[in-house]
Amino acid sequence: MSTSTASTRTKSATSSWATSARFKTFAITFAITGTVIYLLCLQFNWPLFTFHPAVSRFEWGWGPSRSGEGPAMYWYGWTATTIIAGAIVSFLVSLLPESMTKKIPLILVWLLPILAIPYLIYDLRSWWFHP
Amino acid sequence: MDIFNYISVNTFWTIWLLVHLLLAVGLLGALTHQAVAVMMPVRQVAGAPGFVTRFRGVPAAGYATAVCIMWILTFIAGSYIYTKYRIYVRIPIEQAGHWKAQGFFDFKEHVASIGLVLLPVYWYFWKNAQNPEYDTARKAVTVYLAVACWFLFIVGHVLNNVRGFGS
Repeated sequence: MSTSTASTRTKSATSSWATSARFKTFAITFAITGTVIYLLCLQFNWPLFTFHPAVSRFEWGWGPSRSGEGPAMYWYGWTATTIIAGAIVSFLVSLLPESMTKKIPLILVWLLPILAIPYLIYDLRSWWFHP
Repeated sequence: MDIFNYISVNTFWTIWLLVHLLLAVGLLGALTHQAVAVMMPVRQVAGAPGFVTRFRGVPAAGYATAVCIMWILTFIAGSYIYTKYRIYVRIPIEQAGHWKAQGFFDFKEHVASIGLVLLPVYWYFWKNAQNPEYDTARKAVTVYLAVACWFLFIVGHVLNNVRGFGS
């Protein structure tokens, strides 16, 4: 009985997200802003934190590799910046009236990630043309 | 209790690499089925359905939540082993001058992160698959994720071969 109640609750919670206009706006905005923010993080090097795996040390923001501490990793920080900033922007946009949010072009949801590919290839050019 | 009293450090990370691999295989299968189903939907079959018809005839909408969960789990497992990759794999790859292989790994990490931000909208589109307004976007996002997943899988596989399994 309790299992059935729990499963009914889970199902209705899931379906309420699937029918929620706010979640729709959040999801569409997150896909668009997330892609853009990630590319901006790469372009301007905005990691939320830097991780130094050889010494398991975290450092807020961007930090250089230090002698004796091995390499620095920025990807975790770029991804964290993207998720947090993207979620905040998307949440704020989801609070706007539907008359405004329905004007967000749906095409951007998939066009931007496709356009990101040539940019990424360009951004990684130092690897492709390394002597 | 220290796990390394029972297994070697190499075995520990190899197990995690295999977990990452198995999750990726599940994700790849689900996304490939879904992408084929969305691009070539089965309409009406005359006679017994063949392999291809059965392959694309899956109830694609039912895969959406599982795909999101598997993408996230694969992402987390990959992120966990990435720290060891950075020190024990990437540095030897650079020393051996495999620059393009390294470039493809960086490409892989970027594609995985972009795929991550697409998951909420992908899930929403599939949960509203009956709404024709989302048809084009749903197809495009699904195919994008499927192609991305194949790319991630192949690059991971090739990079593993560059350094050698268990090394």
